[in-house]
Amino acid sequence: MKQKIIIISALVLLLVLITFMVKDFFFNNPGNTNPYQFELDNIRKGDSAKAVFAETQQIKTTMEEIHGIATDSSGKIYVSGKDSVVIFDTKGKSVNKFRIEGTAQCIAVSENGKIYLGIQDHIEIWNNRGEQLAKWASFGTDAVLTSIAVKDENIFIADAGQKVVYHCHIKGYLLGKIGLKDPATGVPGFIIPSPYFDLGISKGGNLWVVNPGRHSFEKYKFDGTLLSSWGKASMAMEGFCGCCNPSNFAFINDSLFVTSEKAIERVKIYGADGTFLCIVATPDQFEAGTKGLDLAVDKQNRILVLDPMKKMIRIFEPKK
Amino acid sequence: MNQRNNLIFSVRPPSGVQTLKMVKPNKLAMQNRRDFLNLLCRGTILTGLAATTGVLAFRSVKGGNCDLGTSCNNCKKSDSCDLPEAALFRQTVWQLDPTKCIQCGRCAENCVMSPSAVKVTHVYAMCGYCDLCGGYLKPDTKNISTAAENQLCPTSAIKRKFVEDPFYQYTIDEPLCIGCAKCVKGCGAFGNGSLQLQVRHDRCVNCNECSIARNCPADAFKRVPANKPYLLQGIEAKAEEKNKV
Repeated sequence: MKQKIIIISALVLLLVLITFMVKDFFFNNPGNTNPYQFELDNIRKGDSAKAVFAETQQIKTTMEEIHGIATDSSGKIYVSGKDSVVIFDTKGKSVNKFRIEGTAQCIAVSENGKIYLGIQDHIEIWNNRGEQLAKWASFGTDAVLTSIAVKDENIFIADAGQKVVYHCHIKGYLLGKIGLKDPATGVPGFIIPSPYFDLGISKGGNLWVVNPGRHSFEKYKFDGTLLSSWGKASMAMEGFCGCCNPSNFAFINDSLFVTSEKAIERVKIYGADGTFLCIVATPDQFEAGTKGLDLAVDKQNRILVLDPMKKMIRIFEPKK
Repeated sequence: MNQRNNLIFSVRPPSGVQTLKMVKPNKLAMQNRRDFLNLLCRGTILTGLAATTGVLAFRSVKGGNCDLGTSCNNCKKSDSCDLPEAALFRQTVWQLDPTKCIQCGRCAENCVMSPSAVKVTHVYAMCGYCDLCGGYLKPDTKNISTAAENQLCPTSAIKRKFVEDPFYQYTIDEPLCIGCAKCVKGCGAFGNGSLQLQVRHDRCVNCNECSIARNCPADAFKRVPANKPYLLQGIEAKAEEKNKV
């Protein structure tokens, strides 16, 4: 009897020991987590339920690299990238594709349908049949053209390399430089730590330029006079995060700003005075490390987000 | 000693005692201690001279590629040089490859040194001197200030200094740095990755089996030549490396 008790006790003890070992080997002990681990996943999680827009369509591109997106007055979508430009109709069907020499970082389409491409250090003008109409001279060996906006006979070109905006006539000659630091006129100068430097022309006829290092938008007259600025540096949703954001923007409803950021990949809408209004897309909707989410808004007020990581156009519309 | 020796040889046998014929002693057997020491010294000097001549001859034959001929200064040929001094330069030390590092924070805990010999290094040539620095400020911070509650670093090892609007310089107080890599991860995520972890060789004891390397989940630790002990990445990182060597 006594021997039986000893055997049973020994077996129970053995079972307890095995259970402990199994738990130790195969189940994570929350107490053993690394106290110094810095979790960024919580920041990237976002809450897509808070977004007032929903992704309604994705248009895949067959290009090796995609960098710029624009729309024309008829609603056609233009995508520029490495060695080519692709034109889609409003439903996302590819209607034309033509080859170019080099990588077009930015694209704009004028009211008369001419396509303006910023290729490294110079501008090229094409028509939608794939014929080159003009090629401008280089803006310098340090030039990195990142954005173009066309209004009537004015064309504005953002050069991230030389931290300046060129105001040119559509025939190709330089009218002026905008944004060079000038304490006398209060122009702070552009701070551009990375090659993301966007600009646009509002319906009111003013030039808006992102000053990414200052996390702000600056409003200029066409002659280069600084009128106002807004923006707030913050990791929180209402501000612009990281070293240099927003990376891209577009206008919606004539005067509202649709912005995109890198580091925390998110697309938001701000009012004309810089008031944060709503979220279009949250970080969890993009792959970590996605940079250069170029934006466009078509005539139906759909927000087109160019996702260079997934190589597709993602279309967002207000939730019903 | 001499007196005693002289005595030995000067003792005459008493008269009438038949003497044995004196045999001339062996020269070596007759050598006194002074002569022996003299001989030993000469021998040592000769051996030394022979060894020096041998080494020089070896260098002239085998080490014909040495630029200086006498002492190694780790010249361009040291990688292929057979001389023992060049071999010293080919010794290896532990270093962390920033391109592989996943900033898990284990460098802070696993080093045999306390605090860890792994420290953050700032590649100033890459830094954007940002106001909203992802390596300095906590992501959820409300205000951009130097208040302790806003700082990401658990030991306040990063110092923020205003340069000019809107630029701020960030310097590392190395004795405070524990190598937790929080700032490295923050800078990489929100900036351009100018903060990088490196094993600092003024602290590293160069263990045969590095405790951190054993626990590194990214296999980021490797042996590198002692004459090129840092693996900084990015623009002009070579300049930083040169300053550290």
